[in-house]
Formats: sequence, C-alpha cells, structure tokens
Amino acid sequence: MKQSRGSLYLLTGFILGLGLGLIYSLFIQPVNYTDIAPSMLDAAAKDRYRALIAIAYNADQDLVRARARLALLNDDDPFRALAEQAQRWLAEGKSEEEARALGLLAASLAQAQATILAPPTSNIPATLPVEAETSSLTATDTTVPPTPNSEGIVAPAEGVNPNPTPLINPSPSPQVTPTIALRLQLSKRESVCDPTRGQSLIQVYTWDANGAEVPGVELVINWQGGENHFFTGLKPEMGAGYADFSMTPGITYTLRLASGGEPVMNLSTPACTTSSGEKYWGNWVLEFSPP
Amino acid sequence: MLGRWIRFFFAIAIGAAAGLAYGWLLAPTKQVNTQPENLRIDYRSDVVLMVAEAYHADHNLASAITRIALLGNAQPANTIQQAILFAERQGYSDIDLQMMHELLAAVEELTPLITTPVP
Repeated sequence: MKQSRGSLYLLTGFILGLGLGLIYSLFIQPVNYTDIAPSMLDAAAKDRYRALIAIAYNADQDLVRARARLALLNDDDPFRALAEQAQRWLAEGKSEEEARALGLLAASLAQAQATILAPPTSNIPATLPVEAETSSLTATDTTVPPTPNSEGIVAPAEGVNPNPTPLINPSPSPQVTPTIALRLQLSKRESVCDPTRGQSLIQVYTWDANGAEVPGVELVINWQGGENHFFTGLKPEMGAGYADFSMTPGITYTLRLASGGEPVMNLSTPACTTSSGEKYWGNWVLEFSPP
Repeated sequence: MLGRWIRFFFAIAIGAAAGLAYGWLLAPTKQVNTQPENLRIDYRSDVVLMVAEAYHADHNLASAITRIALLGNAQPANTIQQAILFAERQGYSDIDLQMMHELLAAVEELTPLITTPVP
C-alpha cells in the first residue's frame, strides 16, 4: 500500500504537468507558422488565392501555369473548387470580374480534360495543344510555386525547400479558344417532360460552328426582383457546353447571354402529366449556336 | 520528504515537456495564423507575379494594390520589390520580371518608396 502511494504521486505530477503543457502549447502559445505553403492557408485565404490564380489566368491564358498554381492549394478536385467558388461568389455578390475569371478557368480545365478524354473524332477539331501542356509538366510535386526561370526550371527559395523541383516550361502557353467573344443565338427552345428528374431546370447547351460544345459562356437569368449569372462548363459530366438553372414554379424567367443577343423570354415551369395522370414540372432545353 | 517533493516536481516537469512536445511538434493545433502574409518568399513572389500579370492585362492599379494587400500591410512597393529581388535571384523569365517591374513602377509612382539612407 505504501509502495502504491509512492508511485501515485509521481503519476499525479506527470498528469498535472501534461495537462499544463497541453494547455500552454495548444491554446496559450500555439505553433505560429511562418513561411507557409498555400495549402496551409485558411479557407477564406485559399479562396482569395484561387481567385488570384483565375485572374492571372484570365490575363495570360497560360493553363499550365494556372494548373500548377492550383495544385499548390491541394484541393481534392480543383475544378470543383473553382466552380463552387464561382457560383458562391456570384451568389454572394462578390467581385463579378473575379467570379467570371473563376468560371472561365473552371471551364478551361473542363475543356482541357474533355479534350484529353475524348476519343479522336473527324469533325471536332482539337482546340487545345494538349501535348505541350502535358509534356511541359514533368513532375507532380506541388510543394514549390510554379514560377519558372528563363530555362523553365523552378527553383525553391534558398535554404527553405529541399524538395525536388518540378520542371515547368511556360512557353509555348496552351491557349484556350476564347469562347466569350463567340456570337451565339438561340437555335432551339423546347419544353421537355422527364418524370425522372427531381427538379425543374432550364438546361442550356452551347455549340460552336464546328459542333463542339462551348464552355465558359456567361448566362444571365432574370426574374421579377432577381438576377443570377451562371456559366456553361461547370458541370463537365453533362458536357463542356452545358449549364442549368433550377426554376421555382410560378416564376417567369428571362434568359440571355451576357455577351448580348436576344433574350429568351417567358420561361416558366412547364406543366407535365405522367401516363397515370400525375402532374409534375418539366424542363426547358435551350440551345445556342452561331448564326 | 524533500526528496519526495523534488520527485513530484520532476514528474510535473516531464509531463509538461510531454504536453509541450505533443502540442508543438506532434499535433500542433490548426488554430494558427494561416494568412497569406505568412507565405514563404517564393510563394509571395508568385502572388506578386500573378498580380503583375493581371495588371499587365488590365492596367487597373487600384485592383493591383488591393490584391497586393493580400500579402500584408507592408507598403505595396516594398512587397513588390522584395518579390523582384527574389525573382531576379531565382532567374525568373524576362517577361515575368518585366511585368513585375511594370507593376512596381506604377505603384511607386503612386506611393514613392521610402528608402533608408545607408551611412
């Protein structure tokens, strides 16, 4: 019994010290990181960093560089992160220029991905120099910023990063076909009844003169007392030129391209009926292509 | 009795050391200052380059200064100059350096850089 009491006070002391140490190191004087990487930024700062990447991409159209920069943020899915942020910023009324840049970069990523994945076809020309893009990025390490020197070699800061350096050649820069300037007009307007869909949508498809889908087209939808902007290409699983907007029954919408053109008026939820007489709301399918 | 107290405080010290090691080394809390101003110099330089690329395209100095402020409250010209020094040391391409100098010139025109006289 006496022996047991002897070890117990030591254990008590250890636990007391451990608790004090934890409180001090976790709450009173937590680790203060300096010289951090972009992946360690908090969510809001990552958003600002991502927007800056999009703005820079908008300026230089260098998709390789934009991708390398996005990789620094360690997003699980960079495309989704961009697309979600673009939608969120538009909804929150933040800088429209930055939201648009985010949408365009997301669309360019989607387009590049679609070009890589698509089987070769005879009538759709490849618009992206994918070879240049993939061959110039020769390493996947993402711990250094993607700024290359004149030889195209990224060098880490002196004495701070022992990691292997990826080789990134900034030129030639892959150019994404500027899609915003493309003149498009409504070529098809159709109400579709599909009972399998859970919600009533305005589905927009955009095509260029070669029949290729056009990502990054900004669409403006208005209704009484409201307006929203959205872009094609933010749902790559539906196609690079696809966008949709969820309608509320009883509201009439007007949709137009942000670049101009005739507005598509009187879009309200079409009433549909199943074979058993059950009613449900249908969709609008709108297709835009060059005149 | 005194030896017992010494051993007790020694146990506290070992416990405290273990707690500090856990909190600072093994599992540092995420409640840290993860702001862009703490980015490493190479990433900071890349941020400046991104701003310079945007400025080169739109010549919107107000936007550029707002974006540079992402890197902290230091004078924008100082921040850009540090980035340029790093970029020159690391051998950024001429085009990139040119854009950064262009941004620096525009910012300095607005807010002349205060330099400390060297004795």
